[in-house]
Amino acid sequence: MRTWKIALLALGGLRRTPIRATLTTLGVVIASGALVAMVAFALGLQRQIETPIRLLSLLNDIHVSPAAGEQAKDAPVLDDASVDRLAHLPGVSAAFPNIRVRGIQVRRNDKSESCLALGMPREATLLGVAEEILVAGHFFSESRRPEAILGAQLVRSLGFASAQEAVGARLKLEAGGLSPEEDHSFTFQRKELEVTVVGVYDVPPIVPGPARSSIVLPVDLMKEVPGIHFESALAGLKAGRAAGALGYGSVTVHVRDAGDVTAVEEQIKSMGFHTNAMLRRFQEMRTFFIFLRVLLAAVGSVALIVAALGIINTLLMAVLERYQEIGICKAVGASDSDLVVLFLVEAGMIGLCGGLGGLVLGRVVSCGLEIAVNAYARGQGATEPLEVFAFPPWLLAGTVLFAVVVSVLAGVYPALRAARVDPIVALRRG
Amino acid sequence: MNPADEDDRFIETRGLVRTYRVGPATVQALAGVDLQVRRGEFLAVLGVSGSGKSTLLHLLGGLDTPTAGEVWVDGHKLSALGAYQRALYRRTTVGFIFQSYYLVPSLTAAENVALALTFQGTFGMQRSRLAVEAIGRVGLQHRAGHRPSQLSGGEQQRVAIARAIVHRPPLLLADEPTGNLDGATAAEIVSLLDEVHRKLGTTVVMVTHDEELVCQVADRLMYLRDGRLTRQQRAGL
Repeated sequence: MRTWKIALLALGGLRRTPIRATLTTLGVVIASGALVAMVAFALGLQRQIETPIRLLSLLNDIHVSPAAGEQAKDAPVLDDASVDRLAHLPGVSAAFPNIRVRGIQVRRNDKSESCLALGMPREATLLGVAEEILVAGHFFSESRRPEAILGAQLVRSLGFASAQEAVGARLKLEAGGLSPEEDHSFTFQRKELEVTVVGVYDVPPIVPGPARSSIVLPVDLMKEVPGIHFESALAGLKAGRAAGALGYGSVTVHVRDAGDVTAVEEQIKSMGFHTNAMLRRFQEMRTFFIFLRVLLAAVGSVALIVAALGIINTLLMAVLERYQEIGICKAVGASDSDLVVLFLVEAGMIGLCGGLGGLVLGRVVSCGLEIAVNAYARGQGATEPLEVFAFPPWLLAGTVLFAVVVSVLAGVYPALRAARVDPIVALRRG
Repeated sequence: MNPADEDDRFIETRGLVRTYRVGPATVQALAGVDLQVRRGEFLAVLGVSGSGKSTLLHLLGGLDTPTAGEVWVDGHKLSALGAYQRALYRRTTVGFIFQSYYLVPSLTAAENVALALTFQGTFGMQRSRLAVEAIGRVGLQHRAGHRPSQLSGGEQQRVAIARAIVHRPPLLLADEPTGNLDGATAAEIVSLLDEVHRKLGTTVVMVTHDEELVCQVADRLMYLRDGRLTRQQRAGL
């Protein structure tokens, strides 16, 4: 209680030199603002990249492809039988071919859009895809009805007023492509499909445009689209395999537990396929973001250390100016530790005000930058606002705490100088 | 001091020596002072400038430590206390009054008085009440909100006295409290100290060079010369 009340005296000390105290605090405000804005930028960038990975549960995915190069001739084909075997490996919840068809025409009344079609199993829950990726409707039903999920941008392009309006709409699809024949030739086939929209998805704006204006179809429906075996067949022919072996370019294997990814990968490799796990790339990416955060925080910390030098200077001047006052305080019973508390609290108050001011400044600066970035992005065709900065509560609290700690540490030397003042010398100086 | 007074001994110094180094030279401010002060006594220490009066007061107040010898106050050996315990002693036992008042310029009279209470651990309403009461005791209630620069020398010294007595210390140490004041104001201040001494029963040790001023109020006069006690006498004799 006594120490707390003595701490209140420190506020009076700051009030006596308002301009100096304000300027010193301003140094901490700028440093804290720079620190919080830079770390928030790194976090924002990381969030933009990690959100789709989390939403799509990509960390549990293993990308499987046929062996390439010299081993390609005798390598197993990634056909439906292989996909079925992969799906039944221990720890695997689903396996499905990655079927992507470009230039598929989507028609609604008089509007027509060419887009990318992606295949996804009907059992989305097995893949761990988060529901929040959907802005309207639901994932595919278990029945083999012709259904589709549209990207939010495609919904707008097709003239729907809202995502909700698109759900239930019937669309006509037209696809054409080269299908391999037994005699090493390819024939062009065209097919029309009619699908019902069951859901609309959206992903953060940082994800490239085509992924946001795609149409997602059930894998069983995608298998009816002509041209899906073209690339695999062409690669097989180049490797000297028979054209009749209808395979896929790649398959996604979804593992129930991310901890099993390495073990499942080993099993797949033993089957003669190549693997590429998102988890490994994600870990490398995380390491990069940790480095980026540390780097930016270090730059901000340097600014805060410079501000701390200002605090040391201000408090040392205060010790000199209040030399006699320190003597008076000692004469009326202040102990050395009381004076240490007094000056440390002054330093801490500068840090607290500076840290809080820094949060405001950091937010204002980031808002300004975000407006500028979004204006540029809109000019480049972006339709969704981009959130470049992330301010999690731990960052806000951590910045203020860091500013206070650095300031208090800066106050240690002046506080010890004040405590060491000889009261007799101090009183005589007056 | 007669044997009957020994039981009521409040301050005692034994062979008190204090030397300072000033460059290559050693200055002896006190050269073995033996002194006894009774509880509730008003002692005036007289001497010319440089005789060691202020040094003696600083040692009695725990602001300084002796080079040799002992200081006993209220049964406690002051010269054996550490820095924190001496601060505690100043906080609870001593009230200082200085020649130059030593008020904090940025604080009002009431705030200056209350400052002492803060370090003594008194807060809130009680702190304000005691500060106002002490200022009233020195007759300055109407000047409580004024800063030192708005007060005359005599008024500033009254505030300093209020600050010294606000926590009712048993010992009041006054270092030339009238040194900066004119004759009439000096007499008022000495009279006020006498009133505090009589009404509160405070032991007062006052350092001065003006014998005429204190001989009417002090119980005893003590003369210092070159750091040595040269003579003691009952006041009025």
